[in-house]
Amino acid sequence: MEKRKPIKVIVSMIGLDDHSVGGVVVSSILRNAGIEVVYLGTYQMPAMIVQAAIQEDVDVIGISSHASNYAQIEEVIDLLRKNKMDHVLVICGGTIPKKQIAMLKEKGVTEVFTPQTSSESIVNYIVSNVRRAN
Amino acid sequence: MKRETDYGNPIKMFYGPQDIEGLDYERDLADPGIYPYTRGYYPKGYRGRLWTQRMTAGLGSSIETNKVLKKYRKMGERGGMCVICDRTFAMPIDADHPIGRKEAGVLGWPGGSLLEFEELMDGIPMTGQSVTLLSTCGSAPLQLAYIVAYAEKNGVDLSEIHGAAMSYPFANCFGQSDCQPLDLNVKLFLDSSEYAIRNKIKMRSTIISQHFREAGANNAQALAVEMAMLNQLCGLLVNERGLDFDDVAMLPYELVSIGTRFFEEIAKIRAFRRMWAKLAKEKFKAKKDRSCQMVIAVHTSGRTMTYQQPLNNIVRATIQTLAGAIGGCSAIDNATMDNAHAEPSALAARMSLNTQHIVADETGVTDVVDPMAGSYFVEYLTNKVEEEAYKIWNRIEEMGGMIAAVESGYIKDMVEEAMRERHREVESGDRVIIGVNKLVIPPEEDFEIPIQEVKPEDSEKIARRMEEWKKTRNMGLIKECLSQLYEDSGKDDKYNLMPSIIEAVKAYATAAEVVGVIRKARGLSYDPFNMIECPFNFD
Repeated sequence: MEKRKPIKVIVSMIGLDDHSVGGVVVSSILRNAGIEVVYLGTYQMPAMIVQAAIQEDVDVIGISSHASNYAQIEEVIDLLRKNKMDHVLVICGGTIPKKQIAMLKEKGVTEVFTPQTSSESIVNYIVSNVRRAN
Repeated sequence: MKRETDYGNPIKMFYGPQDIEGLDYERDLADPGIYPYTRGYYPKGYRGRLWTQRMTAGLGSSIETNKVLKKYRKMGERGGMCVICDRTFAMPIDADHPIGRKEAGVLGWPGGSLLEFEELMDGIPMTGQSVTLLSTCGSAPLQLAYIVAYAEKNGVDLSEIHGAAMSYPFANCFGQSDCQPLDLNVKLFLDSSEYAIRNKIKMRSTIISQHFREAGANNAQALAVEMAMLNQLCGLLVNERGLDFDDVAMLPYELVSIGTRFFEEIAKIRAFRRMWAKLAKEKFKAKKDRSCQMVIAVHTSGRTMTYQQPLNNIVRATIQTLAGAIGGCSAIDNATMDNAHAEPSALAARMSLNTQHIVADETGVTDVVDPMAGSYFVEYLTNKVEEEAYKIWNRIEEMGGMIAAVESGYIKDMVEEAMRERHREVESGDRVIIGVNKLVIPPEEDFEIPIQEVKPEDSEKIARRMEEWKKTRNMGLIKECLSQLYEDSGKDDKYNLMPSIIEAVKAYATAAEVVGVIRKARGLSYDPFNMIECPFNFD
């Protein structure tokens, strides 16, 4: 039987957001859990993130966000749909106000992790929800 | 729960004379006002002058930020104002850049041109208070140029203006950044600093260990990096730009982050005063006492502000403010209770300023200078953090100094390891954070606080205004000024670009135009994101 390939996740900041602590820490958490991480770092625009998702054939895009460029997260979702990449989960983490969380989920972000979420719950969420393209 | 300092040094149950054996009062502490200034610079302490009680402003348009600045003055801001730049000006790119129009006015003030500065300062006095403009190295020369141009246009005596407009060149590795390469940032730092020093402009440069600490570094690391930055930057101004150290020493001020580890934070400030005094006197051979007295401003720690139970953050800010005050800093601005949610709401800002006033006026902390001196524990901690910091600083110097340590990746690795360690400590419960890993309540029962909203259309509005306004400018004059800047930028790295930057700014060239032209002359793309072409042809 073919060995199942490990789950692959992009971790990225978006737009001009350069607060990278969350992204760095979450990347370590995921790697320690055996998840493959493609860490894009800062100054990634929506099109760049989706391009990387296509090239790297990832299962999940994780956006680390510090403050108010949420419209760009929505752009990522739109671009994924356009590229028929709907199976890719988009999750976010960071200092995101409650009202924005509801709006992002409505738009198609599947989960938002607020500060100090446990490592276990992030890993568990990804492992149980990842959707594999056929 | 761990019983150790934030830099991993075990803490005993109590401390006594044996823990500070060899401590010599005159040599190591001395009365306030006497070298090595461990106990502070002023014998009168806060009886002579209270710390500047300020609140950082900056969100939305310049006109909106101006309104907030005026409101903060009414809310009890005393001694100075402080504005932080938005994400576009931080780079700098213009608000009407394809990326800029999504982020203009986010997290700060969109200071892309002299017009924005004029709107920011409308009706606000430039003198009689310190004017502090926090930004990045990429936008700092613009800010200095705004001050010079504004003073000239409005008939304000430039020598009467004081504050800070410049910034250190290392923010890019601490997760708070512009997008300029390090060599360009170092040049922009040296040019703007040299210009201010030679022209006796009392605008300081912010040297920020706060970014490093907020990214996760511990107190010993923050202190070491602070000293390494100061050593290298002052050294460059003295050796490469030929300035006198006693003039250079008036340039930097240090912005430190103060967390909740009360005694350690006080010790850190005391140790820092002593370390700088020694560096100034022993290495740089300072001739004036003032050169040995580094101005220290405090930003209480945003990192310690939790998303959960945000009212708890008022208590944290109070402890941190008290530590900053006991430490004897010159200015404080507080992280706000909503720091982990959004930019400060009006309520959060008021609470933040009230916190400072309560600490200043109700606790008695302003009565006595350096009240912790002589405490076995605090003197031990002061020595210990200094000792640990020297070890790390020496390692940085062995690599060739701060620039070399940044280029080698040493600083980035240090801070990233610290971030991970911090997370491990909280997750394992080794460090208790109330509301996060102790006394946790379900999210639906959490406190409701007002949240300052930012809408995407606000950024677009700022972008459109800039787009329309750009068309009304005297493009002939701008082209002329930028041609000069382009020519100057191709000269030797020591050739100071400030005079031509100031002329361009007076003609209302934008931040992206000014820095873009400098970039182009240095063989870089005009636009750091390679999305727009240079609108000027200099051939």
